[in-house]
Amino acid sequence: MNTNSNVYTVIYTTIVVVIVSAVLAFVAMKLGPAQDANAKAETLRQMMSAAGVKPTEELYATNNADILQLYADNIEEAYTIGLNGEKNGDLSIAQDKIELISKLKPQHKAILAGEGATLPVYIFKGGVTVIPIYGAGLWGPIWGYVALNPDCYTIAGAYFDHESETPGLGAKIKDEPWFREKFVGKTIEWGEERAFKLDKNAEATGAPNTVDAITGATMTSKGLNEALNIWFKAYEKHFGVGAFFHALEEHAIEETNVNAEEE
Amino acid sequence: MAQKLKETILNPILKGNPITVLVLGICSALAVTVQLKGALVMALSVTIVTGLSSLICSLLRNTIPNRVRIIVQLVVVAMMVILVDQILKAGEATYAIDKQLSVYIGLIITNCIVMGRIEAFALGNKPIPSLLDGLANGLGYGLILIVVAFFRELLGSGTLFGFQVLPASYIPNNLVILPPFALILLGCIIWVHRALDKDLQED
Amino acid sequence: MEYISLFVKSIFVDNMIFAYFLGMCSYLAVSKNVKTANGLGLAVIFVLLCTLPLNWLLNTYVLQPGALRWLGPQFAEVDLSFLSFIIFIAVIAAFVQLVEMIVEKFLPSLYSSLGIYLPLIAVNCAILGGSLFMQQRDFTGIGEPLVYALGSGIGWYLAIVALAAIREKMSYSNVPKPLKGIGITFITVGLMGMAFMIFMGIQL
Repeated sequence: MNTNSNVYTVIYTTIVVVIVSAVLAFVAMKLGPAQDANAKAETLRQMMSAAGVKPTEELYATNNADILQLYADNIEEAYTIGLNGEKNGDLSIAQDKIELISKLKPQHKAILAGEGATLPVYIFKGGVTVIPIYGAGLWGPIWGYVALNPDCYTIAGAYFDHESETPGLGAKIKDEPWFREKFVGKTIEWGEERAFKLDKNAEATGAPNTVDAITGATMTSKGLNEALNIWFKAYEKHFGVGAFFHALEEHAIEETNVNAEEE
Repeated sequence: MAQKLKETILNPILKGNPITVLVLGICSALAVTVQLKGALVMALSVTIVTGLSSLICSLLRNTIPNRVRIIVQLVVVAMMVILVDQILKAGEATYAIDKQLSVYIGLIITNCIVMGRIEAFALGNKPIPSLLDGLANGLGYGLILIVVAFFRELLGSGTLFGFQVLPASYIPNNLVILPPFALILLGCIIWVHRALDKDLQED
Repeated sequence: MEYISLFVKSIFVDNMIFAYFLGMCSYLAVSKNVKTANGLGLAVIFVLLCTLPLNWLLNTYVLQPGALRWLGPQFAEVDLSFLSFIIFIAVIAAFVQLVEMIVEKFLPSLYSSLGIYLPLIAVNCAILGGSLFMQQRDFTGIGEPLVYALGSGIGWYLAIVALAAIREKMSYSNVPKPLKGIGITFITVGLMGMAFMIFMGIQL
């Protein structure tokens, strides 16, 4: 048989392409559910790690089915909001409806475009609220979850992850527990131009909304700082009300102090 | 026959090592060797892909039209790589590792070792020797990957497979973690290899 | 302005060789002298410039989840992204083969100087890598992938010509025998890579 004729070449290539696509489509279909389950469990692990449901290592040692159950046991309410802070969607608290990590990218674009965002808010039993953040690191995307205390003002916990930051440098945002723990107890100054500051020597200023950048990972830290601020800005109108009351409270305390001094 | 098979298997690991002698497949050798775990998974993935692609191409060797040879080979390799990627993504235990290797799994397609072995060996040999040749080359590649990763993880993080090995007082060397150091380390491995085996030295 | 920053960034900051170490096989094999390095470098620029925008179009209108929406609302949920590796590499290989045939037929003089490198390019990681990075970065509009392709190509070209020049000079140096050839080349590239890291701090 002449394997160099045009007809043979065309038929051969067609057959190869058809067989290969069939095999791949079949495998993609077969493995799809398992992959989706992995992606969902991964999202839940990061979310619950931020919320402090269980220690991070324990969450990563738990299998997918138990993670779903753990989420169902601990979640109180979950919904999405628009950029004006209004509720515009319901993420039912049943096991199966959450915003996957892979959905954060389109949301990020929506925030930057200023329209069409459906930002998830997860409220866990006990009042801890978890919101995601997303942005660009040095090499690729970085994202994470920030948990807020019931006052919607102080941070209860955080978890960060990345696609391809330099291991040992930028990757510390994920790998080093002490970095996550630094966020606990810090505040988000809703309404300010920069609600949070992650910068070199920022903690030295003594402000409650600061965390020092990671030494040697300047670009990743800058990216994380941007990600935090862009997403906090997007949530500002939703949580800002609580923050307003908080400010009032402080104001009231100050006034009492002033009054006390006057007396 | 048995002698020849032994040769097929041992040669790629020592005398004809794909990385240090043939200088193929360098890209991933640099990118995934910061930690031993990633290097091990990459080595296994490449071994499987090289072995099976060689086998398939060897089975097809008399039917492939010469003009579209490269495309057909690439399609076969790409199929194997996508299969490996999909399987890693689907496994509960391997999902995290697949995330860590990200783009570099896809780049196995253009890992010159895979294409190089198909062109140089599989197209002219029977399926079984081709399969062995592919697997052996994957192992030779994996060996270097693991040696490089061993030094980079030990010096760069003070750990091996994530466990603390060096005392906590050791300050990790950030230079070791950066890709340029992998090149220098590879240069040194080649130096040692060629000092031991004088036949490989260049004039 | 964004184009200029993307262009400069892809040449220096995100240099294919020194930042990502892509396309190392042919980079090390064909950098023995400046003349051949020049030929391969130009061929890489050309192929990147043609295949990357093509793959961008395919990615945007066929492969991405929801990319097939233009066919009708019932296709909005289709996700073909698992095929992206195979489509990208097929486009690259087919394009390289096509160019080879055209150049051989119509420009024999160019073929004799450039032709031998074309098959090498199909398996050059920098080309496929460019397409995979493009997929990660979601460019808007055809202009950005074009600029990105040109920038990465030029970055690769600069890197290979620089290494070839160093290697030409180095052939007169007294290098320990086991280190001669590829060994010292690795170390040289490592040092060049370190030098290139200064660009990472640049903000564009």
